[in-house]
Amino acid sequence: MTGLHDISQLHTAGHPVAKGQPILELRGLQKKYGAVEALKPANITFLSGEIHAIVGENGAGKSTLIKLLTGVIRRTSGEVYWCGQSVQLATPTEAISRGINAVHQEVVLCRHLTVAANMFLGDEMQAKGLMRQRAMTDAAQVVLNDLGFNLPAAALLSDLTIGQQQLVATARAAMRGTQFLIFDEPTAYLTRQESAQLFRLIRRLQNEGVTIVYISHRMEEVFELADRVSVLRDGTHVGTRLIGETNDAELISMMINRTIEQIYHKEHLPIGEMIVETRGLSGPGFENISLSVKAGEIVGLYGLIGAGRSEFALGLYGRQPLSAGEIFWQGNKVTIGNERKAMDLGIALAPESRRDQGLCLNLPIGLNINLPIFDRLTSGLTINRRREIENADKQISDLKIKTPTRRVLASAMSGGNQQKIVIGKWLSHGAKLFIFDEPTVGVDVGTKAEIYRLFARLLEQGAGIILISSYLPEVYELSDRLHVFRQGKLVASHTYRSASHEEVLTQAIGV
Amino acid sequence: MSVETTTESAPVPKKGMNILFGLILLGLLLLLWLLLGIFTNSFWTPNNISNLLRQGAMTAILAVGQTFVIITAGIDLSVGAVVGFSSVTIAWLLQAGVPLWPAMALTLLVGVAIGAFHAFGIVRMGLPAFIITLATLTSLRGIGLLITNGSTISISNDGFTDFSRADFLGVPSLFWMVLVVAVPAYIFLHLSRWGRYLFAVGSNSEAARLSGVNVNRTIYLAYILSSTCAAFVGLLLASRIGIGNATQAEGWELQAIASSVIGGTSLFGAVGSVHGPLIGAFILATINNGANLLNVNSFWQRIITGALIIIIVYVDQLRRRGSR
Repeated sequence: MTGLHDISQLHTAGHPVAKGQPILELRGLQKKYGAVEALKPANITFLSGEIHAIVGENGAGKSTLIKLLTGVIRRTSGEVYWCGQSVQLATPTEAISRGINAVHQEVVLCRHLTVAANMFLGDEMQAKGLMRQRAMTDAAQVVLNDLGFNLPAAALLSDLTIGQQQLVATARAAMRGTQFLIFDEPTAYLTRQESAQLFRLIRRLQNEGVTIVYISHRMEEVFELADRVSVLRDGTHVGTRLIGETNDAELISMMINRTIEQIYHKEHLPIGEMIVETRGLSGPGFENISLSVKAGEIVGLYGLIGAGRSEFALGLYGRQPLSAGEIFWQGNKVTIGNERKAMDLGIALAPESRRDQGLCLNLPIGLNINLPIFDRLTSGLTINRRREIENADKQISDLKIKTPTRRVLASAMSGGNQQKIVIGKWLSHGAKLFIFDEPTVGVDVGTKAEIYRLFARLLEQGAGIILISSYLPEVYELSDRLHVFRQGKLVASHTYRSASHEEVLTQAIGV
Repeated sequence: MSVETTTESAPVPKKGMNILFGLILLGLLLLLWLLLGIFTNSFWTPNNISNLLRQGAMTAILAVGQTFVIITAGIDLSVGAVVGFSSVTIAWLLQAGVPLWPAMALTLLVGVAIGAFHAFGIVRMGLPAFIITLATLTSLRGIGLLITNGSTISISNDGFTDFSRADFLGVPSLFWMVLVVAVPAYIFLHLSRWGRYLFAVGSNSEAARLSGVNVNRTIYLAYILSSTCAAFVGLLLASRIGIGNATQAEGWELQAIASSVIGGTSLFGAVGSVHGPLIGAFILATINNGANLLNVNSFWQRIITGALIIIIVYVDQLRRRGSR
């Protein structure tokens, strides 16, 4: 049939289970860490050839479930039946050899190898002990073309965007004869076109008989893709619904056990005086950006990934050198040469990537929260231990960061809680201008609502906010003014709801 | 709603584990002393204990300096060479008639300069720490040999050389120097904001930078402290052997790194303490001392040190994995 099909035939041993019959059954599957039940005994059946969505707040047990199914961790009790047979799934190798594979939110591939080399990694074509580079590149290109991905197989992975890397990871799993493919928040970093490509691929894999498990925070994706949806809450499997027999209100109430009337709280506050104004600001990745933020308003920056929004934020924050333009802070012309200068003025930046820019992951939560203010916590030579502890504990309780103590490492926290740590860091320091770059990526619905309420609180206290988001409904509903970025330039500006979603999107894509 | 389940991997708070690890190390050291006391007649003699404390002291001070660098996810391979070079510097200065105290101060300043050069190479020239410190390792030995013309400079200042043989309150003065270094080092690393910055830079320098930490200054600080500790050890060594010789302290950088790692410092950065490397240094010194007393071939000491590094780091890995 197609290149994809040909190659997957090399690996697939055929499907022993007819479409619509159970392929993977969990019976009382349970995982305990010490006394804590991360997954309470769960009974979930996955049917061959279905797209089965799994939704739940952060910490609901989704990650635990994925790790159990892919053999990363071992279950405490319960049984797993694969094609009717009891299996252990004790190691990743066992899971993969049975045809169970996962595509993770954060791409786990070798950045310094080519796309083709990554796709064949661990399964290289060989002749007489040597790799057949050319053949692999050609074969990979056929697969990529066939999937409709406009990607060169010979390119280095590090030259691709995160979204493109995600597609490579998916293509890689697709050509390995995977029968059961788990997607863990795959669209978190994808542009809309990339998401559309991914969805086409997922449907296509489904048509070829692959069972798909799709984990997402985005309700509209679940309803667009899935056949059935299972809800997890606090480690409990709350229920499974046919997609036609449920709606997002029901799913959200199952997920969070409390009804959120409305996630978006747009409260129009009186707009105060000017906080910051940029005139013709240029730097690496952005050009001639003029915009302003006043007290009490949210200024949204929308655009596709790589449109220059984050680069602009880093430039304003003093992380990147500016090549032209002026910055006026509360009416006075300023130069912001480094991050400390920006902080001293009153700018806070919650950066795009929590893992790479936001957190010291292998350090305790408390240290992360206090990091910007250790100079203030210092009296004499040493840090005032009592005030250090007080501030960390205050932020943890104010922001409801779900941790037993401030000494837990940041890496142990879920996405939403990690975002709260980043925010807590800047609430400790205080600021007039808060820049939030993709604050709700990988964050559950409940935490999202908390973050939005926090925005309102900051505005009431007289701060201004720059909100950078690739999630249009969010930035559209929250922003008093919305600026659209495309290829490093500010291409359009709108007041609240003065343009339609379609207009904004069209401007961002530039068709 | 149970709150704890939401941290998906249900981690155990670390503080208790760290104290436990420290106690295990201390227990290992005491066990070694006990065993050597049983199996040799000469271990628990005042002479031998003094000797052990003197030898361990120098490694311990190097290990503390090294730990600062390793916490920033760097490495300082030059410390052994700096020790040798400093012994030449002080001997040369004294020979040239510079009074003792200014000569010592100048030697320490040379240490500061070497550390600053390392940081300059890392921060401004973008060189890996491994490379720049490897380069100074060989260059400093070369410069030292050039100055001394390949031989040694003897030190005739009795006040200086007597110091290493002196005792204070019955304990060798060299051992007191460990405390002179360790107490401020402890305050610096564990109680001051600079210590927190070292950890933050070692964990994620970009996050630290965006949180207002002056990353470059922190790196300068770490390498300067390491080289200055090494120059200080150079003074102690010169006092002990009474000569300046650029080839002294061969391989001490590995002793320092080993002590630090045995003491729980992670070579990936962001994990470490002051007390761990101190105990690690004395564990290594005890093994060497004990091997001598037991007439074990000295080549075996190197093999044992290597095996110990593997075992302790492996146990530490298990501990980290287990608590996840």
